[in-house]
Order: sequence, then C-alpha cells, then structure tokens
Amino acid sequence: MSTRKAISRRRAVLQGIGATAVALSLPRRGYAQAKAPVHLGFWTFDNPQQRPWLQKRIRLYTEKNPNVTVDFQWFPFGDLGKKISVGYATGTAPEGFVSQDWFMPLWLDKDLIVPLDLGRLGYSSLAAFQDDFAPAFVSGAIKDGKAYGYPLWFYGYCNYLNTKQFKEVGLDPEKDAPQTWDQLGETAQKLTIRKGDKFSRQGFKFAMHAAAWTVIQFNPILIGAGGAWFDSSGKCAVNSEAGVKAMTTRASIALKYHAEDPTDSIATNPLPQLDWLKERCSMFMQPPLPPVLVEHENPAMAKGHYYRPAQYPGYVAGKGNSSTYGFNLVINARAAKEKQEVLHDLYRFVLSDPVDAWKSAAPFPLALKGGWTEDPLVKKFPHVEEILKARDNGVPLPRSLVYNEMADSMHRAVQRILLEKADIKASLDTAAAEIDRATAAYRKA
Amino acid sequence: MTHTPSAGKPLPRAIADTAAAAPARRALRLGYGNRLRLCGIAFVLPAMLFFLVFKYGPMLWAIGLSFTSYDMVSAPRFIGFGNYESLVGDPVFRETLVNTLVYIGGSTALITVLGLALALAINTRVPGARHCMTIMFLTNLMPIIAVCLVWRFLFHPYGLVNQLLRHIGIGRIDWLTGAETAMPAIIIVTVWRFAPYFMVVFLAGLLAIPAEYYEAAQIDGASALRRFWHITLPQLSPIIYFVIVVSGLLCARIFLMPYIITGGGPGNATRVLSMLVYETGFSYLKMGRAAAISVVLFAISLAFTVGQMRLFAKSEENFR
Repeated sequence: MSTRKAISRRRAVLQGIGATAVALSLPRRGYAQAKAPVHLGFWTFDNPQQRPWLQKRIRLYTEKNPNVTVDFQWFPFGDLGKKISVGYATGTAPEGFVSQDWFMPLWLDKDLIVPLDLGRLGYSSLAAFQDDFAPAFVSGAIKDGKAYGYPLWFYGYCNYLNTKQFKEVGLDPEKDAPQTWDQLGETAQKLTIRKGDKFSRQGFKFAMHAAAWTVIQFNPILIGAGGAWFDSSGKCAVNSEAGVKAMTTRASIALKYHAEDPTDSIATNPLPQLDWLKERCSMFMQPPLPPVLVEHENPAMAKGHYYRPAQYPGYVAGKGNSSTYGFNLVINARAAKEKQEVLHDLYRFVLSDPVDAWKSAAPFPLALKGGWTEDPLVKKFPHVEEILKARDNGVPLPRSLVYNEMADSMHRAVQRILLEKADIKASLDTAAAEIDRATAAYRKA
Repeated sequence: MTHTPSAGKPLPRAIADTAAAAPARRALRLGYGNRLRLCGIAFVLPAMLFFLVFKYGPMLWAIGLSFTSYDMVSAPRFIGFGNYESLVGDPVFRETLVNTLVYIGGSTALITVLGLALALAINTRVPGARHCMTIMFLTNLMPIIAVCLVWRFLFHPYGLVNQLLRHIGIGRIDWLTGAETAMPAIIIVTVWRFAPYFMVVFLAGLLAIPAEYYEAAQIDGASALRRFWHITLPQLSPIIYFVIVVSGLLCARIFLMPYIITGGGPGNATRVLSMLVYETGFSYLKMGRAAAISVVLFAISLAFTVGQMRLFAKSEENFR
C-alpha cells in the first residue's frame, strides 16, 4: 500500500515536473517561433584590440538572440573602404559595417547608408544623440538633421614624448613639453643627435610614409594657422596664405631646425611609430598608444614608463589641436527592413557596455562622452586625461568626396617640399589644382 | 537480296522510314578528316572558352568601360572619349606616362645587355661558371615582396649600399627619396631581378650556335670581337628580339616594385601607369578612367611589340 502510494506520488511529482516543463517551454517555443531567422553580414577593420572586442560583443548578441546569425568578416585597415566599394558594386556589400570617418561623405553622397532610427537606439531626439558624443563624430555623420552613423571609437593624436631623453638633455618633460610649433622645433633641436649627415636620434619626426598620415599630421597645423582645406565654394584652399604658413611650419622641423631626417621614415615603416618606440626619435605624433605595443617593441620603456602623451602644439601656447578621427557603425541602404531593425538592436547592444570596451581596447577612447570615463579602471590609466582631451578638442579630418585624391596630392606636395626642397607656394598650388580637378571630375561624373 | 520498290505497291512503313532516313544519315556521316577536325575543336574548345571568358572578355569589357563614368557603386554611364580627354589634360598622367616609358626603356636595355653579357661570361666555360649561373638565377626564385623589402633596406639612407659607397669615398645618396635617383634605383632592382632569367635564355641561344662557325672564323683569323659581331649577334638576333619584347612587356606591367619600394614617390618620380591604374580604380573609385589608362598601357605594349618586330625584321634582312 505504502509502496503503491509512494509510486503514485512519485508519478504525480514527475507528471507535475513534466507539465511544468511543458508549460515553461511553451512560451519560449512560441517566442522563438515568433522571431524569424535573420542572417546578417558585418564587416570591420582588423586591429589586435578593437576587432576582437567587437567580435565578442556581436557573438554575445547572437547568443542572446539565437534567431540572428552574423557573418563577421574583417579586413586590413587600409582595405576596408575598397572592399565595401567593391561590395556595393557587386551587390555583395554587408548589411552592416564599420565605416571609417573619412568615408562617410562618400556613402552619404551616394545614399548608400540609411539614417538611423534614434528612438530604437534609445534616444529621444537628435539633440540628445548629438550631446552624447564627441564633436568630431557629429560633424561627419549627421546630414539634414539625420544621424547616419553610430560611433564607436574616436580619438585624437597626441605628441608622445620620450621623458628619459628629455631629462638627458636637461628638459623637464612636464614643463617643457612644447606648447607652440616654434617651441617644438627648438626642443627637437636640443634632443637631436647627429654626426654629419647621419642622425643617431631625431628630436621629432613627421611620418612621411603614407598619404593618410600626411593629411592627419598637416590637418591641425593648417586649421591652427587659420587655414582650411576648402573654401565655401568647395575650391581647395591649401595654397592660401594660411596654408603656406602651415606648410612652412610643417617643413621647419627638417629645414630650419634640422631636427628630423625626412628621408629616413620613408624607408622604414613596419610601424609608423617604430622609430619613436625604438628611441631613435624623441617626439612623435600618433594615436593613443597601447601599453601592449610599447611592451612588445621596447620592454625597457614599458617597464620604466618613460613616455607620456602631450597635447599638440599650436601657434598660440595652449591652443593646439590634434587631428581627430573615428569609426561609425552604419547600415547598408540596400539591407532589408527587418535586417535594418535587427542591426539597430545589435549596435545598441554592442555599445551598451562601454567600460568593457575600454577594458579590451584601452587606450582607444569611445566617442561616447559619459558613462565610462568615471570608472576607476579608466581613471587610473596613465595620462588618460590627455587622451580624452585630444579627442574632445581635436579637429576632424577634412570632409571631402575626393579624400584619397586630396591625400595623395598633399603627400606629393610634402615630398617635393621636404625631399626636393621645392618652393612651398608652387607645390601647394600644384596640389590645389590637382584636388580641384578631382573635385570637378567627381561633380561631372 | 535487294528489295526495289515496285510501282503501285506501298512498302511497309518501317522500311519506308529507313529508306527515307538513309540519305539524311549519309549526309550527316562525316569523313575521317572532318571528324578529326571536330575532335580537335572539342579538345580546344574548353581552353578557347576559358580565354574568351577570363582573358579577352575582360579585355573587351575594360575597353568598353573606358568610355564610361563608373564609380563602382552606381551603374556605368557612357561618356564617349571623356576619360581620354581628361587624361590628356592631366599633368599627373603625363608625368606617369613619361616615367613608364623611361622605366621600360631603361630596364629593357639593361636587362638585354646585362643578360647577354652574363650569358657570354658563363659560356666561356671557366671552371665554376655554371655554379655562378645557378647562384645568379636564385634571384628569380625569391618572392617579389621579399626582394622589394630587402632592396628598400639596402637603399635606405643609412643602408648597406650607402655604407659601401662611403668606403670608396662616395657620400650619401638618397636613393629612394631623390627625384633623380629613385627611378634608377627601381631600374637597378628590376635588372637585378630579371637579368639572370634572360641570361639563361641567351645561354640557350649561345649553345645552339654551331661550333663550326667559330672554328672556321678562327682559322680565317677573325678576332673575338669580329666573331661576336659577325657570328654571335646575327645568330642570336631572334633571341635578342624575344628578350627585348618579353622584358619590355614585363616592365610595362610592373607594379609591385615601385609600389612597395617608393610608393610612386618622391612626388611623382616613380609612379608608373600600372600603379596609376590601381590608384585610380581602387582608391579613387574611378573605374572608367582607370580602364582608359589601362587601354593606353595596352597600346604602348602593342606599339612596343610591333615596333620591335619591324625593327628586327629589317635587321635580319641586313644580316642576310
């Protein structure tokens, strides 16, 4: 009797558990059935820190949303824009991708990306959205009152100093960090060591190896000198008086102060900042420098931590600006409506934990102003205030539909001026004419 | 026994069909020669299709594209000769065209002369000459990227080449950053890479010249120079023609060397047409214009080949 009772009780318990399980599973099954499978393509650039973090966030999203699968692909930094262009041409562009800031004008001009639904991203208005991010982002991704990009990282270049070398020549790296371009030349001169025509150490150097760097490094000097890349009519204005002043400043480190060898960095560029990391130059302007890179290239420098970022010099002390650029999450205009909606949710999820982004990709700051900079982990990062200041005060890269042609023309001009000692005004006139031709051809096409 | 249809008496249907089909079958039946030809066409067809689809098709498409404005994201738009007109007025293109011609001329001349000189030296049958040939030929086995990177370091202002020059009293030369020296530097790398390859081609030609010619000339008292001028050169003329044409075409298409070693600089000093095609197409997204530049490059190659053919046809007649 008692055994029977026990068995029937056990059965009842098991039936109860079974019924509960079925009851619990029903809404889930119903929920899963309600969401149709969505497959997305997503492309980004490669970077040892940023790409793995983004990939992790997307993976977490797909784990939470099993109906969504993402074909995550990444390409070398310089190839991403070309890949996306070819993707659009062949109808194989992904539904979502990371756009480099300077490509935004092109996508916008050709209506290749859609305006974002800010409500879906959790914002009540465009103003609220704009207020949340660094100004450099806002200027590049907002058109006709609509936001086309959801910003990831945005950062400004800093002037990285080798504090040990500063001390060696009797300079205080805190007080004597150059505030003006003239001070930069004079300080670089003091730091330079050369025997005849051979530099053992360059006080400062501008990267000469790539057109992209030429623009990034010339941009703040030009703006600081009161110049602009284009005038209000869209004509190239780099050959203006301010442009000549800026280029004279740019060239002065090599030609006036003899503190850099412009022929040197063309030939050795496995990493643009390698000469600085190897202590062959004392100052170099670059994006925020990951400690892991310093550790890898110069363990002694990492251990002794004898480096620091400083703000760009200016024409007036304390008024220097760096170049700022960044990356936006965007949505392909050719993506189906339901995929666009899922991408909004995905992007919102990706950026929902900014502290995690910093943990994985420090010291690359997000464009997001608040919600993470107060975290103790961020605050204790060495010189983080300089990195954030550079982001917030930096001037954005020129917004141009012929960006690559402009960069190549300027690069040729800089090479002529520094390597062939060509006349500055004439070289800038040539560059401006080339850029205007490219702009005219674009408009005609 | 043969059945012949008799008037007024119809044949059974099957027999009638067979009789009607017989002449048609005879008409379809091919002779041995035709069948052989068809068989040959069948064998060649896949290769022909391959070339049509992957070689001549894209070539024709590129020519068509050169008459359009195409940015890779919108549909191509016909603009007639617009791309060619804009090229004529573009100083960067003109400079690049001159660079390309200088590069082709310089590299081809040096590759031919040096390749022949090396082959003659190897052909002297000095002990160890064949080993030297093997060592020299190794330059062709190195990956081109590695070659470019190594030479970039060698030509660095503080690199090995300048250090060696310093020992013989020559000061620093900015090989890759001087407008006058950058193109010669690229030509040096090209010759270093390709001359040993063509040396082997010349050597094969030299070995094919009958020794009796030289013996007879020697008996007649001809000097080494006269033997070279009157026997070696005429006998080698088809090979020389081959080397000039092939190396010229090779140089016309060169891309990686200037791209990696100098990036086309300083200024525009080492930018060649193939680099401009790449930049215009994939960096500036102007595919129509890039196609027009590639058509110009094709025309140069064609003109070079035809010119060489005529020149050598004349010189062969002269030798005869």
